[in-house]
Amino acid sequence: MTDRVRKIYDRLIAREYRNLRSDAEYDFAAEFAAAGLPLETRAGLRLLRLAEAERAVMFPGDRIGFLRTVKRVPPLQTAAEWETIHKTRFVFDGAQVGNISSDYEYTLNVGLETRRAEIVERLKGVQEGGKAFHLLNAMLTSIEAVYVVADKYRAAAERAGARELAAALGNVPRKGAGGFYEALVFFRILNFALWLNGNKHNTVGRFDVYMRPFYDKDIETGKLTRAAALDLLEEFFISLNFDADLYPGVQQGDNGQSLVLGGMGADGGEVFNGLSRLCLEASLELKLIDPKINLRVNKGTPDEVYRLGTELTKQGLGFPQYSNDDVVIPALTRWGYEERDARDYVVAACWEFIIPKVAMDIPNIDALNFPDIANRVIRDKLAAGGNFDEITEGVKAAITADVARIAESVKNIFVEPSPFQSVLMRDCVRDARDVSEGAKYNNYGIHGAGISNAADALAAVQRTVFEDKTAAPDELLAALDADFAGYEKLRGKLLAAPKMGDNDDCADGLGCMLADAFADACAGLKNERGGIFRPGTGTAMYYIWFSERLPATADGRKRGEPFSANYSPSLSARSKGVLSVIQSFTKPDLQRVCNGGPLTLEFHDTVFRNGEGTQKVAALVKAFIARGGHQMQLNAVSRAALLDAQKHPEKHRGLIVRVWGWSGYFNELDIAYQNHIIKRLEFTA
Amino acid sequence: MTEGTIFSIEEFAVFDGPGIRTAVFFKGCPLRCNWCHNPEGLERAPQVVRNPNGCLACGKCAPLLGAGKTAAEDDLCVCPRGLLRISGAAYTSGALAARLLKNADILNANGGGVTFSGGECLMQAGFLEETLERLRGKVHTAAQTSGFAEAGAFDRVIRKTDLVMFDLKVMDRALSKKYTGQYNDLILENFAALKASAAPFIARAPLIPGVTDTEENYGAILAAVKGSRALRVELLPYNKMAGGKYKLAGRKFEPMFDEGVAPRIDTGLFERNGIEASVY
Repeated sequence: MTDRVRKIYDRLIAREYRNLRSDAEYDFAAEFAAAGLPLETRAGLRLLRLAEAERAVMFPGDRIGFLRTVKRVPPLQTAAEWETIHKTRFVFDGAQVGNISSDYEYTLNVGLETRRAEIVERLKGVQEGGKAFHLLNAMLTSIEAVYVVADKYRAAAERAGARELAAALGNVPRKGAGGFYEALVFFRILNFALWLNGNKHNTVGRFDVYMRPFYDKDIETGKLTRAAALDLLEEFFISLNFDADLYPGVQQGDNGQSLVLGGMGADGGEVFNGLSRLCLEASLELKLIDPKINLRVNKGTPDEVYRLGTELTKQGLGFPQYSNDDVVIPALTRWGYEERDARDYVVAACWEFIIPKVAMDIPNIDALNFPDIANRVIRDKLAAGGNFDEITEGVKAAITADVARIAESVKNIFVEPSPFQSVLMRDCVRDARDVSEGAKYNNYGIHGAGISNAADALAAVQRTVFEDKTAAPDELLAALDADFAGYEKLRGKLLAAPKMGDNDDCADGLGCMLADAFADACAGLKNERGGIFRPGTGTAMYYIWFSERLPATADGRKRGEPFSANYSPSLSARSKGVLSVIQSFTKPDLQRVCNGGPLTLEFHDTVFRNGEGTQKVAALVKAFIARGGHQMQLNAVSRAALLDAQKHPEKHRGLIVRVWGWSGYFNELDIAYQNHIIKRLEFTA
Repeated sequence: MTEGTIFSIEEFAVFDGPGIRTAVFFKGCPLRCNWCHNPEGLERAPQVVRNPNGCLACGKCAPLLGAGKTAAEDDLCVCPRGLLRISGAAYTSGALAARLLKNADILNANGGGVTFSGGECLMQAGFLEETLERLRGKVHTAAQTSGFAEAGAFDRVIRKTDLVMFDLKVMDRALSKKYTGQYNDLILENFAALKASAAPFIARAPLIPGVTDTEENYGAILAAVKGSRALRVELLPYNKMAGGKYKLAGRKFEPMFDEGVAPRIDTGLFERNGIEASVY
């Protein structure tokens, strides 16, 4: 890290720049409603007004800049308007467009003026006063808003004598970027504007694809050295963290700024390149939670990529997360994505596989509660004297019913228009259609929470009730009712039964059954936008939310105890070890449940104490990929450090942990999430 | 079929031989090294151990813990946090080999294999030999030993394993007795036999501050290894984690050395003499 970047980094950590934000609160909704403005128009106008309210804040040495001074993005609609919507429509995650991936490639190359000209041209054939008319005009207003902010920074840069930035802002965002530096500045402007526009989970996408031509050209022509490029890239990465406290999410850090490196390109070749390496190096030096690094790998990925990735894992950031092209691309094409689009997949906020530029998939629309389903069926069938086959058949039927219920519950969806995000999509101008209303792909994804807990519960019933007959059905039901109070011995037997992760065909077979039943239940279902439902193995926050309401379950889990996060062994499974876990979790046909959701492995940080340990972790990741694993995420943690951080948060301000699909500062997490991470580690030390 | 007692099977043991390996820890050890970081491995008989992480100190496990005591799996549920387990499971050589071979494809694909450790794996030499025979040709094997074993058994085992990882701890006879509980004559005789054999081997030296990291001890290790077929020397610096497991095994950790001092790491001594040395 250069001294210049170090100063910017120190400023981020000290956080004093946040005191420069304005306390002014804005509320335009009543005025907008009174004027009877369409939502598209309101969105464009809101962005323009917030842009006008923004103040340019520059510090000496800044070459990229852009800091938020407006704290809150006000709503487009009044409380009364929202009430009507909530009564009549399905509202998902605040109804904001987000968790998609923009067409940065095109925008960075041609500039917003070209986009503007396309919109003006498109307006010619549109009826005045109609929906398309309002949308296209709102797109123009949004572009204007971006210019307002950029021009403020240009003026500030001139005043501050930051000639390089001033010159860059004379070019971007109006024109296409003239080099790597301008492309970074341009991206930062777009990123800043998306957040100010109220979009959520703004992903970074295939950075080493769309930035590469700028980088390569500057390196080839000698305009930039590698060291100079690293210096800029590090400032750029830091800039993505400056306002992270303002970005909405379930917990701070859950903001979706996922950056994808490597993997198969749209034309079939390998993407991993010099810029990919530079990104890994920058992330390694900075150790910040944004951007969150994802590595795409496949059969042909050289060992170097795994080695570099593991060096990053060693830092304890909880990334990179790996995804396997050899599983994901065929899964996506089977689901109807075109081959070129599938090859171009990126990772959404957490782990969902989405397509940049052209997709308005909602990959996290709801979650299936596997443990609840297993529990309901186990209880019903045991009470009725059923056998184990009836239980498994009952579980399949209940999965089908729950998926159908979810599919029904997400109909009549309402998403607020987002003209600026639409400007950044490939086809929205051409189609004069806001991205909120759909794009080329409109599939929904359903998470599958707690698959291992459910498989374990079924395996425990099979083992104790039906095979060994060491537990009578009535006794098990009574124990579950009593939350195991007075039934400690029975609970011991349930805990000792085979678990998914033991490489035991009984529990793993049940895991396969659950995954297949989920896939079968989704197959053939259509959403109202003509898209499909994609089953997955992620949990998002449902591993906490669902578990809080679920009573004791037959895997030995007590009332309220959390499920495993994502696609991982349950917290009570005393695993035989990572090799068995890898074997177990690669048995299901993961192409069928490929919405996203990684196997998570925790390693004690001492594993990384020398190069040999690091190399072996890299080999292990490769082994998982070779066996057909779809996605993997590794953590290097010390349980002792986390416990100490709970007692002395002031000593661990920089401690970063992986939560579900994202990394955050340990100190900033709710206690339930902190405790879950500590619990996960009990068997690793 | 011979039965043995295993206290742990660790998949993905990173510092116990080449590649991705599974390490098998045999229960029971004839030495009492003062710095032992695997106190679970000392007693030959199974025992109840308690994971101290998350312990509520409710005392319900007291009747189960302690030397010479044992328990049935069913008794372990007295712990409300599920922190008790029985350390020491009986395996036949067939069952152990089958368990290990379940991961053979991952191990073989990554230049790895299985490492037998302990405790002292040679304390159950017959069981070890049988298991090695069952694994021969299917997966790479390594045996970690202190060398404190009956000479005949030692000779048979080094012929049946693909790699020997031999500990050279305290080279001085009297100090060996003081710090490990045993004179080292047998150990040095077996090391001489190993050098004279065809078995590939690595010499491993735990670095204990003031005990094994002295100039004299380093010099004696170098003298023992120099000119031999040793593939390399592995230096294992003492780390403070060692004491952490004593509570688990219901033992007291009473180091006769200063834990606060970092051991002296001298790879150069070996390298100058043409011997590869690495630090773990």
